[in-house]
Amino acid sequence: MNMQLISKRRFQTSLFYLAVILFLIVVLLPIYYIFLTAFAPSGKLFTVPLTYVPRSLATARFQDIFGALPIARYMLNSTLLATFSTILALTVSLLAAYAIARLNFPGANMVMIGLLASSMLPGTATVIPLFQMYQTLKLMDTLHGLLILYGSALLPITTWVLVSFLRQVPVEIEDAAKVDGASFFQLLWRIVLPVIRPGVATMFLINFIIGWNEFFTPLIFARGAGVKVITMALSEAQVIGARSEFDVSWGNMSAVAILTTIPVFIITLIFQRQIVEGITSGVFK
Amino acid sequence: MFGQQNLSTRRILLAWLLVTPVVLWRLLTSVYPFLRTFYISFFDNSPVRRTFDFVGLDNYMALTRDANVDATLTFTLFFTVSSVALQVVLGLAIAELLNQRFKMRNFTRAVNLLPWAMAPIVIATAARWIFHQDYGLINDIIWRLSGERPLWLVNFTTARFAVTITDVWKNTAFLAVIFLSGLQGIPLELYEAAKIDGADGARSYWYITLPLLMPLIISMIIFTAIFRVLTFEIVYALTNGGPGTATSLLSYLVYLEGFRVLNFGYASAIAMLLFFIVLIVGVLGYGFLRRAWERL
Repeated sequence: MNMQLISKRRFQTSLFYLAVILFLIVVLLPIYYIFLTAFAPSGKLFTVPLTYVPRSLATARFQDIFGALPIARYMLNSTLLATFSTILALTVSLLAAYAIARLNFPGANMVMIGLLASSMLPGTATVIPLFQMYQTLKLMDTLHGLLILYGSALLPITTWVLVSFLRQVPVEIEDAAKVDGASFFQLLWRIVLPVIRPGVATMFLINFIIGWNEFFTPLIFARGAGVKVITMALSEAQVIGARSEFDVSWGNMSAVAILTTIPVFIITLIFQRQIVEGITSGVFK
Repeated sequence: MFGQQNLSTRRILLAWLLVTPVVLWRLLTSVYPFLRTFYISFFDNSPVRRTFDFVGLDNYMALTRDANVDATLTFTLFFTVSSVALQVVLGLAIAELLNQRFKMRNFTRAVNLLPWAMAPIVIATAARWIFHQDYGLINDIIWRLSGERPLWLVNFTTARFAVTITDVWKNTAFLAVIFLSGLQGIPLELYEAAKIDGADGARSYWYITLPLLMPLIISMIIFTAIFRVLTFEIVYALTNGGPGTATSLLSYLVYLEGFRVLNFGYASAIAMLLFFIVLIVGVLGYGFLRRAWERL
């Protein structure tokens, strides 16, 4: 055997694993650091140099933030908004996607391009009139008002992805069902939906994550404690027990960051494959 | 014949009935408010002063004299170019990494998705702690290596890099996923043929992988660039646009002018400027994309 070739290959392999390890460290270390901050006993938070392997963990900060802020309510609101905006957006997008992919009507392309173009309109370029509209229509500080805006943001990409999923599915099964005299909604519910279930499930997961992570919309349209969401608790937790304007509680902030992040991490780790498929199908098809 | 026509009319009616909810929803919450923003940008409109007076192009003239707008445009350019360049290069490298066969590949692919799944506001807020001068993670590492503790968020240049680094950390995962999928779409025979012709890894990457990925890379550059111009959370929570206006972005400026100063007319003019920049990036990018497709 050629010793030189073997040692060259070995060198390349170790270089490759070095790159993998470096990548894992860059991604995971900041997340670990937030975790460490959230659970650090109060005396151990500010140390130079940092201690990366803690001797003990404390949950006092979680008790503090649950005591000082309506965290459970915020998390409930986030869950409600993310879930229902996703369901609503998927329902109306599925109807539109079916029409676009199957009914071959004049204007179908116009609707697709119009949706894409409208998704390019920046949120900041629509927020001021929406704010004024919401004040006039008494939609400020209401969950249904927020739901309308959360759902709206999801529509263009959801419709696009569902159209692309529908176009990959053969029409023949639907034609057979039509011959059997199925009504339109029977057709949609019994035939179309089961066939494109992977696409719907994927968009459900992605849209839920987007809704859960939303910040700009509630910042403007949710000001009362009853409708606030978990992402808004980050800045509120920083000032719990603050002695001055410059006194920032990084421990409390990190505890909220952990609470905000755990649900999306669980979803992402369980449904990794589906999420990747959803991300790529929005781009390629 | 008559029945056929009837059926087709019914089909078209049904189709429009089905797309109406989506179209109406977007018209009311996106298209109409956008047109209204354009309209308001010609008015002096403030809920505090209770004004709604037509002022013609005054708001737009004020834009050209506003030093904050100048600083914001400068940083927008810096941020967009540096962040997109880093994300594309790193995204391609990570995609290549994740495309190899190795132990823990599935784990590594899952880890790659974590920053994508996290809320931008969480990352932006946590980044302030991570860039903390005395107790932050980054300065701890730099201090162990060099004994220095840079003042990340106090100096102009380092604050700009802090915003870019945070953005790259969060968003490169998305590009890596897309590029990985692109890599998986390239037929293996091409590489085998190249190997027979004696091309090594680097050469086949340069002559096969890159050209085939180019349309995808360009469309991702456009997409990523547009979203850099629209960035809000990182600047809002990490730097507040500071020091001074060193890291101010247009979305943040619209927020300040609209919801802190409550100057709706002027904020609308800034929002229109933002829209035109996005439009220009989109149109220029589309031109590049068409040329890349023709070359393929």
